[in-house]
Amino acid sequence: MEPITVIYLIYIFIGFYFLFLFTLIYIQNRKDLYYCPKPKKNYSLSIVIPCYNEGATIERTIKSVLEAGYDNLKKVIVVDDCSKDNSYEIIKSLEKKYSKVMAVQTPKNTGNAAGSKNYGAKFVDTELIGFSDGDSFIEKGAINKLVGFFNDEKVGSVTCSVLVENKKKFIERVQAVEYKVIKFSRKLLEFVDSIYVTPGPLGIFRKSAFDEIKGFDESNLTEDIEITWHLQSKGYKVKMALPARAFTVAPSTLKDWIKQRNRWNIGGLQTSVKYGKDWFRKGMLGKFILPFFVLSWVVGLFGLAVLLYRILRILFLKLVSTTYSIQTQTSLVRFEDITLMPNVLVFFGLIMFFLSLWFTLLSLFYMKDENRKGENFPVLSFYMIFYVMVYPIILISSFYKFLRGHRKW
Amino acid sequence: MVKFLENRKRVFWEALLLTVVVFLFGLLIGIVYESSKSSDMNEYYSVSELSLMDIFALNSLVNVDSEDCLILTESNLDFADRIYEEAKTLAKYEAAGKITKEIEIVHKRYDVLRTFLWINTIKTSEKCEKDYSTVVYLYEYSSDDLTKKAEQNVWSKILSDFKEQEGGGILLIPIAADSNLTSLDSLISKFKITEYPVVIIDEKYVIKDLSSVEELEKYLS
Repeated sequence: MEPITVIYLIYIFIGFYFLFLFTLIYIQNRKDLYYCPKPKKNYSLSIVIPCYNEGATIERTIKSVLEAGYDNLKKVIVVDDCSKDNSYEIIKSLEKKYSKVMAVQTPKNTGNAAGSKNYGAKFVDTELIGFSDGDSFIEKGAINKLVGFFNDEKVGSVTCSVLVENKKKFIERVQAVEYKVIKFSRKLLEFVDSIYVTPGPLGIFRKSAFDEIKGFDESNLTEDIEITWHLQSKGYKVKMALPARAFTVAPSTLKDWIKQRNRWNIGGLQTSVKYGKDWFRKGMLGKFILPFFVLSWVVGLFGLAVLLYRILRILFLKLVSTTYSIQTQTSLVRFEDITLMPNVLVFFGLIMFFLSLWFTLLSLFYMKDENRKGENFPVLSFYMIFYVMVYPIILISSFYKFLRGHRKW
Repeated sequence: MVKFLENRKRVFWEALLLTVVVFLFGLLIGIVYESSKSSDMNEYYSVSELSLMDIFALNSLVNVDSEDCLILTESNLDFADRIYEEAKTLAKYEAAGKITKEIEIVHKRYDVLRTFLWINTIKTSEKCEKDYSTVVYLYEYSSDDLTKKAEQNVWSKILSDFKEQEGGGILLIPIAADSNLTSLDSLISKFKITEYPVVIIDEKYVIKDLSSVEELEKYLS
């Protein structure tokens, strides 16, 4: 067997494994997907909203928290990280209008969301502490669906479904599809205690656990991933309330998208390095989350390297062949050469594609009450064929930046 | 509760088991599929082998008689055309063969057959007057050199066009020179070839550089 065939088969095996894993978790737990426990007590809660140049959205964000309908919401602490726009004026005006809103400002710009979040957390004395981004909007009733999970004292944090708010541009629609697949996968991972992130749009933490781990790591670009791993390493569980939803503004340009993904990837690498010592230790963090992260990096980068090598070889072969064919005035392309001769690798690839398609469609359509505006066939096709394949290219730039010590938002 | 969670985590092993089963099943189907293709080729080969034996027998019986020579020449040409077509089918099957090496073995057997054919045409030309040209194309089957692959790719197209143009005027025999066949190596040694691909026309001309159909025509007898 040729080395390239062996590599292809290894990739097929890994792909099949994860598809079957998610499928089996879904089959075994589908009745519990929507389950949100009823709170045994009326947990007191404060929400911290970091804000940096969010003048366009911050008012709506604050109002969405206030109107979410959680009756024991004590404070909404909005932390302005020395914005250059009018964010702080808006927050101050809302502070006057709503008694629960508290406007604070960091002494100087912290340079990342973690700094603002930790700053805001100093003003919190409730049993639970929640965080929401300045460009995210919480659906009414969402908080109530999250708090019941804290009945289990081992639960350190609870997250919700994060969906895309803006779906006008093509790139936004593709991300809307992606976010739905991610949220579905994340819920499935909850059943094996392997949620790896409590995303920024809405995450609620047990305050005692939050204090125990000393809050967010301000040196990490993805503080929401790091804190989740930190909690897991301390033996806390992370849960997800699938029916609870928060909406976020996704990047609208390719440049912003690349910037965001670079940040996510670099943060993921930082976190992997930080917890690298926990391989096969500390429960599911060491047994699944960490190996899963590292494997996805290795598979992505190595796969891309092999693909590029193959493409370059083919291009070189075509170029030289064309040069020779011109010299000898011979046509290279013949109708008789176009034949369909399937092989086992093609069969495997097709099965893989259709299984992935099935999983994507399941992620998109199993919730009947969701807004599917803009998630049409071209968007879905683009997501399935190009978006997923383009992603490893971002991994290269992220890896390069990580090695160069890039740690800026 | 702990036991319940442990049961849930059993899913990692269940997924692995399912993957192994599906993967092995897929590989098995692949092997069966590839074997069916190589058995198709083996059938073709058996028929071709039989035809060659027949031609050999005919060759040993032939007297210097114009009628016998005509039959022998036609048999050689027909046989060459048939295995040339079979070679095209074989190339397609080879492209699809990813798991087993069976097709590669069939390829080697065909190379032996083609070498026999070349020997036979040389013998035939000793007895009978030839009204066609023998064009032997020697290439490297397992070369990783991309420039060489490109050159071979273009050579095969040129020779395909050449054959189409000349029809029965040429007897085209493509042989993989790196098949490690003693008979072939011995046959080639007299041409002092150091590098492939090359085209040998009527055992007289050894063409090393890529040439157009028009240029090749000049070498025909």
